[in-house]
Formats: sequence, C-alpha cells, structure tokens
Amino acid sequence: MSDTTTDKKRYFVASTAELESNDRVIAEIQGREIAVFDVDGEYYAVANYCVHQGGPACEGLLSGTVTVNEEMELSYDQEGEVVACPWHGWEFDVKTGEHLASSEYVLPTYDVVVDDCKVYVEL
Amino acid sequence: MVETSKIQRISDLDTVVDCDFHLVERQSDILPYIEEPFNKMLSRSTGDDYGYLSNLYPTPGFLTPVTTGKVQSETVRSPEDVRRGMEMLETDRSVLTPTQNLYLACVHHDELAGALAGAYNEYLLDTFIEPNEGLYGAVVVPPQKPQRGAEEIEKHGDEDGIIAAFVPSGGVHPPLGNSQYEPIYEAAESKGLPVMMHNAAGTMMKNFPQQFHGLDRYLSTHVPAHAMQHMVNLSSMITQGIPVKYPELNFIIQEAGIGWIPYFMRRFDAEYSGKREDAPMLNQQPSDYIRDQFYFTSQPLEGADDPAYIEHTLRLFDGGNNLMFSSDYPHLDFDHSDELLKMLRGKFSDEEIENIYGQTALSVYDF
Ligand code: FES
Repeated sequence: MSDTTTDKKRYFVASTAELESNDRVIAEIQGREIAVFDVDGEYYAVANYCVHQGGPACEGLLSGTVTVNEEMELSYDQEGEVVACPWHGWEFDVKTGEHLASSEYVLPTYDVVVDDCKVYVEL
Repeated sequence: MVETSKIQRISDLDTVVDCDFHLVERQSDILPYIEEPFNKMLSRSTGDDYGYLSNLYPTPGFLTPVTTGKVQSETVRSPEDVRRGMEMLETDRSVLTPTQNLYLACVHHDELAGALAGAYNEYLLDTFIEPNEGLYGAVVVPPQKPQRGAEEIEKHGDEDGIIAAFVPSGGVHPPLGNSQYEPIYEAAESKGLPVMMHNAAGTMMKNFPQQFHGLDRYLSTHVPAHAMQHMVNLSSMITQGIPVKYPELNFIIQEAGIGWIPYFMRRFDAEYSGKREDAPMLNQQPSDYIRDQFYFTSQPLEGADDPAYIEHTLRLFDGGNNLMFSSDYPHLDFDHSDELLKMLRGKFSDEEIENIYGQTALSVYDF
C-alpha cells in the first residue's frame, strides 16, 4: 500500500518561510483542523482535535519534556517536539502524534509534501 | 440496557446545571470589600518588598502544568468570562465556586479568615450573581470561625441567587463532625441551603502535613488529596451523627471522582456492625445517611475510557439520583459537559440522565 498518492489530494498550508518563523501553522482542510509543525526543517502534520476531550491539542505550548537519564536523574528532552493540549496538558509527540503518557492515544497524523518552498498536506 | 434514549447530546437536555464552575478570584479582587480593622491594616501602599509576604492565603508551591504552561487555563474574573465558559460548556445554570478561597481553612489568622469570607461573599454578590442569566452562587463560610460562618449564612441566605453554603473543607481542623461546626449546619438547615464541601489538593499541607511533604510532587499529592480529605470529614460527620441532628440538611461532596463512594459506603457499614458504640446516634446504616443526605458531583470522572466501570460504579451508589454534573471549569482537570453523557447514553434512562445533568441539582440547591 505504498503508492496511494493517486487517490490523495494536496492542500496548501503555508510557505516554508512562514513555517520557519511560526513553528506551526494550523489550517482548515476538508472540515478538519490540521496543524503542521516545523521541527528543524522537517514537517509534521497532526490533527488539532484532542483524543482526550476534544480540546485544540496543537494550539498549546510547544516545548520539550522532562525525562530521566541513565542515572535516573531528571533531564529535559525533545525540545521543540512536544505539544501540550491547553485544556488538560496531555503531551503529544508532534512527529508521531503519540501521547507521551500512553501510546494507546494517538492524534491522527497526515503526510506532508514540500514542493517549491510550499508545504502541502495530503489527504 | 435502556432501549430508547432520546438524549444524544447536551442540547437535548432540558436543563443543564453545572455544580462547580470556578471563579478565579484574586486576593486583590476581594480586598476592596474587606471589613475593619483589616481594611486599615491592609491599605498601606508599601510594606512587602519580598514579593510573597502579602499573600494572605498560604500556597503549597506546587510545580504544576499550569506553572509550566502546558495547561493554559482560562481566567474567570468577570460575568463575561462566566458567560464565555457557559457557552462553551452548553450549560444553563452555573453554581459559582471560588478558587483562592478553597484555601480559606489554611489562612493563619482566624479573624482574618472570617473577614476574607465576608469580603468574598460581598464580591460574589456585587460582581457575579445574576439568576436571570443562570449565574448562582454559594455563601463561603470560614471553618475557623463557625459562628461567623453562621452569620454569613443568615446575612446572605435569602438573597436571590444564593443557593447553598460553601465550606472550604480542605485543611479544616478538627474534621467537620466536631460539634464546634454545628452553628454552620444549623444556619444552613434553617435557611434551607445545602452545604457544599470542596477541597483543594494543596490544602493537604495543613491537615496532612507529613504526607504532603513526603509526597513531593503535584501528581502524587493530587491523586489521593480530594477523596482522602472527604473520607476523613465524612467519617467524622457520620460518626458524630451530624445527619441525624440535621435531618433536613443536604451535603454536596465535590471533586473527588466516583469510585471511592461505593467503597466508602460499604466499608462504613461493615465497620459499624462491630463498632456501633462509637456512633450511638445513628439509627440506620451509615450508608443510608449517605444515600439520603449526601450528593456527589461528577468531575473529575475517572475511568472515562471504560464504560463498564462507569456504569457499574454509578449503579453501586444510586448515581441516577445522587450524582450531579459538574465541570470544574476552568481548572486544569475540568470535564467537558459531554464526557459523562457519552458514558450514560444507552445505559441509563433519559430520566436518570436528566437527573444527573440538572433535575437533581434543581431540587437539592435552593434555586
Ligand atoms: S482535551 Fe486535550 S488534554 Fe484534555
């Protein structure tokens, strides 16, 4: 099932320059709100609808997260890759949509294409 | 299994009452209403250059998701803020509850606690209460000064839009079954107001200081704090016969989830069988008093990913008659209105769902 591009459509979201200065852009595509994140020049598209209680998951703080190193000392990781839903603080990995506390909860993700400095989401 | 449910969404409900909608009043919002001598004592313009000595309400110093910015709570300091929240939640009536004053029982000066309660009540009435628009509230009583609490109830209990008395029950000492609190219960019963009991996780710092310091994180404190403080107060109240002495008085127990309720009722009955001499005033099973005179608000609903758990648990304490919807908006663990409804549809009758979302509240509060 690798070649499904034929039945998918591209939707323009933003220019690469715009994403670089904003770290994320939220677009409405086919009735869905989809956020595209720029993580060091890589783009990730995630649904802006929280799997918890429907909050705007991708509008919250984009930061890293607390973890522990091998010595079990507190450290900070994934800077710029974790978005927290502003309603109750559920953290999601923007690269995979996965909820950090339980991978059973995943925000839908979408394919992103870049063409001529323009960023598109494929649905 | 209920076959035909007409109620699919919140807008299908007749009346939605939110039993816990928080103002986020600041100390500076209520100080303009404070009585003497505190008004004079606090009206100086300089004094605290340390930045924290002006806080009259002790704070636990939690590192929370609000502190880090991972939760972005709305503010509620004006009637417009309330309306915005109610629109989002699709509710018809809100029972307005405090935030800062959840810590009232921790205030380290009994007369000041009384004055702060008085100031909050004036602020509430002056700024928010508007029954025509669904904005109702509760008279806050200072647990340190039960007689003053009774006076607040006497003073405001008949005002339009005041529908309950509110005991900030976290941090109270001794627990609420002690006879010193009886003036509060007496006044509330005579005004026909139910007594709401609401803790805050950080109030554990006062009545469970060793545990509070030992837990050392917000998460580990917050998990047990609400239910354990309620269990202590309820244990004291029922053993001391408060529901027997005030048979017309109802209590509303807030913000501790649901699973502990059937556990607590059954444990109490089981223990009572062998220790009845400690509670000679009771003439029914302890759980009967809970069923008759105690109501519980729904948030924070644990197990919302497990419909069988919710159904079973609610059935175990007659939730169709004793549970009342609450959002806890705008706090960091608030429940959206349809969170519970999703679990009830198809499992509870339309009548039970209407009860949980508003009809029970309409009869328990003094609307
Ligand atoms: S709705 Fe997103 S964390 Fe609750």
